[in-house]
Amino acid sequence: MNVYAYAGLTYLGTAVISLLVIGIIVLLNKLMGGNSSEGGVE
Amino acid sequence: MDMNLLMQLFPGIASLFTQDPIIAVARIILIILGFVLAYYGYKRVLEPLIMVPMGIGMICINTGVLFLANGQTGTLFLNPLISDPNALVNIMQVNFLQPIYNFTFSNSLVACLVFMGVGALCEIGFILANPWTSIIIAIFAEAGTFATLILGVALGLAPNEAAAVASIGGADGPMVLFTSLMLAPKLFVPISVIAYLYLSLTYAGYPWIVKMMVPKKYRAMDIIEDVPEVSKKSKFIFIIVACGLLCILLPMAAPLLMSFFLGMAIKESEIVPYQDLLENTLLYISTLMLGLLLGCLCEASTLLDPKVAIIVALGIFALAVSGVVGVIGGWVVYWAKGGKNFNPCVGIAGVSCVPSTAKIAQHAVEEENPFAVVLPVAMGANIAGVIVSAVACGIFVATIQFVK
Repeated sequence: MNVYAYAGLTYLGTAVISLLVIGIIVLLNKLMGGNSSEGGVE
Repeated sequence: MDMNLLMQLFPGIASLFTQDPIIAVARIILIILGFVLAYYGYKRVLEPLIMVPMGIGMICINTGVLFLANGQTGTLFLNPLISDPNALVNIMQVNFLQPIYNFTFSNSLVACLVFMGVGALCEIGFILANPWTSIIIAIFAEAGTFATLILGVALGLAPNEAAAVASIGGADGPMVLFTSLMLAPKLFVPISVIAYLYLSLTYAGYPWIVKMMVPKKYRAMDIIEDVPEVSKKSKFIFIIVACGLLCILLPMAAPLLMSFFLGMAIKESEIVPYQDLLENTLLYISTLMLGLLLGCLCEASTLLDPKVAIIVALGIFALAVSGVVGVIGGWVVYWAKGGKNFNPCVGIAGVSCVPSTAKIAQHAVEEENPFAVVLPVAMGANIAGVIVSAVACGIFVATIQFVK
């Protein structure tokens, strides 16, 4: 794989994994009745 | 007086005349640089916790040179280039920093200890209050890492070396230490020295980026929000879930991730004796040793690698791109929120130099509006930056062999 494609794909991968981790945490937080100004249970 | 006797009496000075002139000049430059770093650390222009010991280490390693057997020169501090086990055992009984270097620095233990301390200081509620804003800004602010990878390969570095240098773009000292050790052990000394040097310089450079990219009237904007209550239980669950998830996804970065989240878990569990140990003892002794070792690694002969000039340029490029794109991320969030109740300065805090970049965002705002408070939101982006940097470095370590 050339370095341009690799850099693009790894940046995308980094974004996806980071969003996934945060998404799961927000979901758990919601399920547990936690509070957040961006998607938790108000 | 006999010249030989003079040389024996003052080997630090005499070696300047007997060494390769390039090394001698580099020693003098590094001694001056050591003075500058220690002084600006003392003046609080640079991060004093790292820069004062680093500056003093840098001065002493380049002044305290003596003649060893076979006409060679050396010091009584440490030799990072020894790999032969027998030579290592012998030198450990001579060089006073050698055991600390081999047992804590070159295996990343010191990075893990710093991360435990940083974790114990982090308030996880900041990221839980604004999870999406925090992570989006942090993703933008990671751009320097990937841009530097491309530039590094274009400048002739091997992909693994370019990726190790690129990790400077995450602006996370322990992470750079860890990644360079995994990916480019031969360049690990110059990469980690340059990374810490530059991370300290973010104090001086990043406020300019913020001022150039965010006009005055926007810098003065306050962020008014009811800080949501985040229960202790939610915080603790966040910590253990994030730790488990990230470790299963990125086993190569697991030691650092575990250290960071362990520090956080101890704080949220309110285990006071451990918390005191991490915050007041381990963090400070690790930072002191880290600064001192980094300074002592700045020996002219160690740093005179032809690749060092490329690393110097790439390091500053990585941090500049991350800072600029981080602020662009701040603007994107500002527009996404309809231009209300958000300050684009927060974008700089996505660069994960905890807590320096969050403080830079707050200072930039305070200069225009002393009553504005953006620190809680900035700290959220800052901590998210640590997570994104860990993800990026973990992916590099696991996949860099695919680059041809």
